[in-house]
Formats: sequence, C-alpha cells, structure tokens
Amino acid sequence: MGLVGIERLKGILGEENVKDDKADLYVYGSDSSVHEAMPWVVVRPHTIEEVQNVMRYANPRMIPVVARGAGSGMSGQAVPIKGGIVMDLKRMNKILEINLEDTYVRVEPGVVDDDLNRALKPHNVFYPPTPASSRIATIGGEIANNASGVRSVKYGAVRDSILGMKVVMANGDLINLGAKTRVEATGYQLDRLMVGSEGTLGIIVEATLKFVPIPKYRCLGIAKFNELEDAGNAISEIMSSGIILSMLELMDNVAIKAVNQALDLGLPDVEAILMFEADGMAKEGVDIEVKRMMEICKKHNGFGIELSYDAKERTRIFSGRKKLFPALSQFKEFYSCTSLADDMAVPYSKMAETAKKIHEIAKRNNVIMTAYGHCGSGCMHTKILMDPRKKSQWEDAKRAVFEIYNYVRSVGGTTSAEHGIGISKAAAFKREKSDSLNLMRAIKKAFDPNNILNPGKLMDAPDDWVTATSLRYRTDPVDIQ
Amino acid sequence: MEFKRLKEWKDKLHVCIRCGYCYEHCHIFKITNWESDTPRGKLILLYALLHEEIEPTDYMANKIFECFNCGRCDASCSAKVPVTDIFTDVRADFIDGGFDVKGTLSHINEDLCSKCGICVSICKYEARTLDKEQNKIIIDKVKCKSCGGCEAACPSGAAYIEEGYMVSEKELLEQVQCYLGGK
Ligand SMILES: Cc1cc2nc3c(=O)[nH]c(=O)nc-3n(C[C@H](O)[C@H](O)[C@H](O)COP(=O)(O)OP(=O)(O)OC[C@H]3O[C@@H](n4cnc5c(N)ncnc54)[C@H](O)[C@@H]3O)c2cc1C
Repeated sequence: MGLVGIERLKGILGEENVKDDKADLYVYGSDSSVHEAMPWVVVRPHTIEEVQNVMRYANPRMIPVVARGAGSGMSGQAVPIKGGIVMDLKRMNKILEINLEDTYVRVEPGVVDDDLNRALKPHNVFYPPTPASSRIATIGGEIANNASGVRSVKYGAVRDSILGMKVVMANGDLINLGAKTRVEATGYQLDRLMVGSEGTLGIIVEATLKFVPIPKYRCLGIAKFNELEDAGNAISEIMSSGIILSMLELMDNVAIKAVNQALDLGLPDVEAILMFEADGMAKEGVDIEVKRMMEICKKHNGFGIELSYDAKERTRIFSGRKKLFPALSQFKEFYSCTSLADDMAVPYSKMAETAKKIHEIAKRNNVIMTAYGHCGSGCMHTKILMDPRKKSQWEDAKRAVFEIYNYVRSVGGTTSAEHGIGISKAAAFKREKSDSLNLMRAIKKAFDPNNILNPGKLMDAPDDWVTATSLRYRTDPVDIQ
Repeated sequence: MEFKRLKEWKDKLHVCIRCGYCYEHCHIFKITNWESDTPRGKLILLYALLHEEIEPTDYMANKIFECFNCGRCDASCSAKVPVTDIFTDVRADFIDGGFDVKGTLSHINEDLCSKCGICVSICKYEARTLDKEQNKIIIDKVKCKSCGGCEAACPSGAAYIEEGYMVSEKELLEQVQCYLGGK
C-alpha cells in the first residue's frame, strides 16, 4: 500500500491507529491457525463512522479488508491471504447497554466474551455460548464464526443468542438487522446470514444479544472409561434419552495426559473420561438428570463416577478443559498442537465409531491425534500433534486430514462444528457443500460486489491448505527424521 | 546481528500455538491494545527474527523491552512456553547488538539524581549500581524488571518509568456506569 493510502487512513483514524511497520504487519498476519500472510496495513477504528470511512476508502480502490477480533480463529479466518487492510476491532469494546427489563445487552464487536459475562454476573444473568477461548475471543469474532461452547448443548451456539446487529457493508453503508424483541418474522433473517460469514459479508459493528438467568444449581459429574468406544456409546444414549443436560464433554487419553502434564489437574489416567453437567433452579431437578446420566455411564462400563456441586471444583476442571488446546503441545517434546481437522460434528450415534476412527487414521499416518469435544452438541474435536519442523509430517498431516473429512462425510457429519472454515477447511467444506457454493458466491457478490471483504476464504479459498499461504512453521531445510 | 541466546530457544518457539491466552492479563496490551505488544505478538516477532525474515530494528527492540515482567503470560501458557525467560535472553541479545532501548525500563534523570544510592540498595534484581568513577547510577537493562521500586524509593524523583494510559476518563466512566446497572 502506497504512502498516500496510509496517509489517507491516518487522516480517517488518527496517526496512532494506523500501523505499517513490518513488525506489526508480521504479527497481524497470523492467528491460531497454521497459516500466515502479511497485510499491507493494520487499522484500529473506534467508532462506527470510522469503520464506514475506511470501507468507503477501500471499496472503490478494491483494497481487501479483513476484520479481526482476537485472532483466536483456528482455520486462518483472520489471515489476510490477499493482503490489504487488517481492521483490528478490539478497541471497539464498550458494553453499550444492559437492559434488564427487556433482557438484552448491546455491545460493540470488540467486547471480550468473559468481560461481558463479568459485567452480567452481578445481575444474575449470563450470555451462554462461551467458547473455551472466552477469555480473549470477541463478540464480533464469535458471531462471524458461530462459536459455541461447553454449554451449547442446552443454550445453543452464538446464533441462538443473537437478536440483532448493526453491520457496515463493503461500500460503507450502515444497516440494522434483526430486532430487540425475542421473536421476529420480518422477512429474510439477514442477521442469521452474518453468523458464520467469517468477515466476508460485512463488518459487525454492534450486536444485541440475549442473556439468560444463571441457574442456582449446577452439578458436574466425571465418569471414567477404559474403552473410548464405551464413552462414545454413553454419549449416544445420554443424548437420545431426553435428559436435560447443560454439558457433556469427552476427553480421550491423549487429551487427559496433556492436560495433566501441563496443568497438574489430576484427571484420572484412563482411556477416556466424560464430564457431564445438569443445571437448574431446583436442586431436585438437577439431581434427577445427573443421576440418569450416571446410570447410563455405568451401563456402558463407566466407573469411578464423582459428582460435585462445588463451584470452585467446577472452575478448576473447566479451566483445565479451556486450556486443552495449548496444553496438547505438551504431549511430546518438540511437538506442536496444530489446528487441523480440528472440529467436526457427527451424529450422536456415530460418536463412538468416530473417536475410534480418528485414532486409527492417526496411527496409519504417523501423527498423534486426540478425540475430545463438546460432544453433547455433536462436536468432535481433534488436533494433529506433530513435529511441524519436519516436511514429511506435513504430508502425513495432509493425508490424515483428507481421510478424516472423507470419513466424517460418510457418516453424515459436517466439516466444522464451531471453529469455522477459513483456509484450512476450505477443501472439505467445498466438497461437502458443493451444491450450494454457487448460491453462496451469488450472496457474497450481492453484499460485496468488489470482493474486498476477507477475500479468498470459504468457497473462494484455495483447495490445498498446505500451499494456500505460507505455513507459519518453518520446516528444517534438511528433514530431521 | 547474531541472536545467540534466541537460537537456544529454537525448539521452544514453535511449541507456541498462538492461542493468545497469554495476553488476557498483559498490562502492556491493556494499555496499548495493539497485538504486536502482546506476549504472543512478541513471540511471533522472535520467530521471524530467528528465521531471519525480518531485520531487528529499534522499534522492535523497544517492544521486547516493554514488559512489566509480571509473569502472567507464563502462568497462563499451558503449552508451557517460558515466555519471560525467552524475552529476557533476547533483551540481552539486543543489548549485545548495540540497541539503545527505552521500553518500560527504569531511567534516571541525571539533573535530579543526588547519587545517594538508595535505588541501588532497594533494587531486588540488582539492576542498579553506583559507578563511583563516573559518579553515576548505571542501569543494567537486562536485569531491570520495571517493577518501579526505584521510582517509589527515590527521594529526589530522579528514578522514573515512562507510562501512559490510553483510556480517557470519560470512556472509563461510561464503562463503569454500564457495569453498575446499565443506562
Ligand atoms: C485455545 C482455543 C480454544 C477455542 N475454543 C473454542 C470453542 O470452544 N468454541 C468455538 O466456537 N471456538 C473456539 N475457538 C476458536 C475461536 O476462539 C472462536 O472461533 C472465536 O469466536 C474467534 O473469535 P476472535 O475474536 O478471535 O475472532 P478472529 O479470529 O479475530 O476472527 C475470526 C473471523 O471472524 C471475522 N470477524 C472478527 N470480528 C468481526 C466483526 N466485527 N465483523 C465481521 N467479521 C468479524 C474475521 O474476519 C475472521 O474471519 C478456540 C480457539 C482457541 C485458540
């Protein structure tokens, strides 16, 4: 980007909110994925008007604009594959209104999930989607990815907590979507279209979200299993037996070992554990649901089941779970946990088979994989643990990823449950959604005729994720086998 | 310039998964709100330096020296990347490379300093010495942890750390109001 352009942006945003030093560009070129690509400039708007003015500048000049929250996306969604402007929205971080009467909260897009919940807590309400990354993930990023979390089995994903939003379009126009009411049947649900749009349709500059009461009682149970398959079967039965639960998480042995190693959490070193939770305003109700889950676990050879109503213990276990992704890098010396084939969803009845299959595919391809996730919502997370400095490991990973997605599709599952498509999952996504890709492209064109909003993602991303961008790991010149 | 000490961390740098958990509590990030000031951002820069993809500059060196060494990034990293140790070593590399940095280090206003040596005796990191020959307080920029102890103890206001907060009082009050029950 030329000096004139930089000066124009400084004119719009103030000198202190525009960076084009190579050091800054380098940092803003990556997120939590395996990809990286340099932007031309990073800007930091504070107001809706500033966002509009940046878009009005970029659109006629065909300059790509990539919205960025915390950069915690795992599939390269915020990586500026075509260069251009990275728009860091973290300074738009005000909670604008907590309306207790009408039960909604209005926020700017850069508000961090945990900060929002800290503000809501004194009012005895919470915003429930809460991904594991809630300590840093922004509301804008969560909407753009349709994030979900441990309690989504009961409270839904982000899309279920949205009432409305304000969006700045590619040409700088500001539109209001949705409403402040709980229900709305006023034409196309365009606010829903923004959910999962990964910054390709518009910049979300404000969101109206609903909140729900914090339940008085929460009971967490942990069951151990000697066979991963048994845990999978327990998940299928719990989910098909009408139990009202607020959480059901699976961790396999790789995940357990990593968390224990990194965090000294003292989880039982067994093949798999299931963590389940029920919540409610009446203890009797919670007891009934928890007992039913316990019995199902036992039926499938679950043992050593422990229950706890203790909030501190729950926080301790949850914080371990939330740190699982980075903790996996601890599994083996020099290995890194790469976010590849990381978050499929499969039908409940296929959980057991999928968990087993993941390990089988990993073994065949010389990588380590783990099976865990918010299984109550059908989510099956994996990660590929490997030495990223070895070129050959990327070939191994590529084969494993391909096999996993083929398998997931064959059992009626989907490419991504919550982490989004970005670059890494584009090939699998395109295969899965082949009959609607042209419609998606037409929608994109209607919103963004000049293709400046996060171009080269989703249906327009390259098929080969290894060569789509530079990998953010440098492989050693001579492969250290 | 040779990053001798940084190279020793070669096998640790790629273990960082860039999740960003390290910046949740980072004071510097809270002040500047730029990702390049976060521990994750700095680790990314060091990775680039290690692989000679960017040139070391004063701007970058200053970033690496902007840190209050609170260690919260270390504590929150479940990939166990020893963030603070890595930064400390790279600071030494930058000093060896002749970079003159300010960062968040403590400084001395020579005009005000009476060379009483109080800052030397209270510095628990042994970062300050009184050079009798030069009649001057010398600051070891690698040892200094920007704790501010010297600033608090200095009777003549000569020891100081530069700081700045990028939130206006008006913005702060608006937020507090919202937290207290909404508008
Ligand atoms: C350790 C770890 C654990 C995680 N756990 C979970 C989990 O449990 N559940 C889950 O769902 N995800 C999880 N994630 C993934 C990630 O945190 C979420 O997808 C999160 O919603 C991303 O938010 P962000 O602010 O970091 O967005 P970014 O990564 O900055 O951006 C992601 C995408 O959103 C777009 N975007 C950002 N802000 C806006 C905006 N205002 N307007 C339009 N587009 C925008 C960007 O252009 C990009 O395409 C995890 C990530 C990590 C690193």
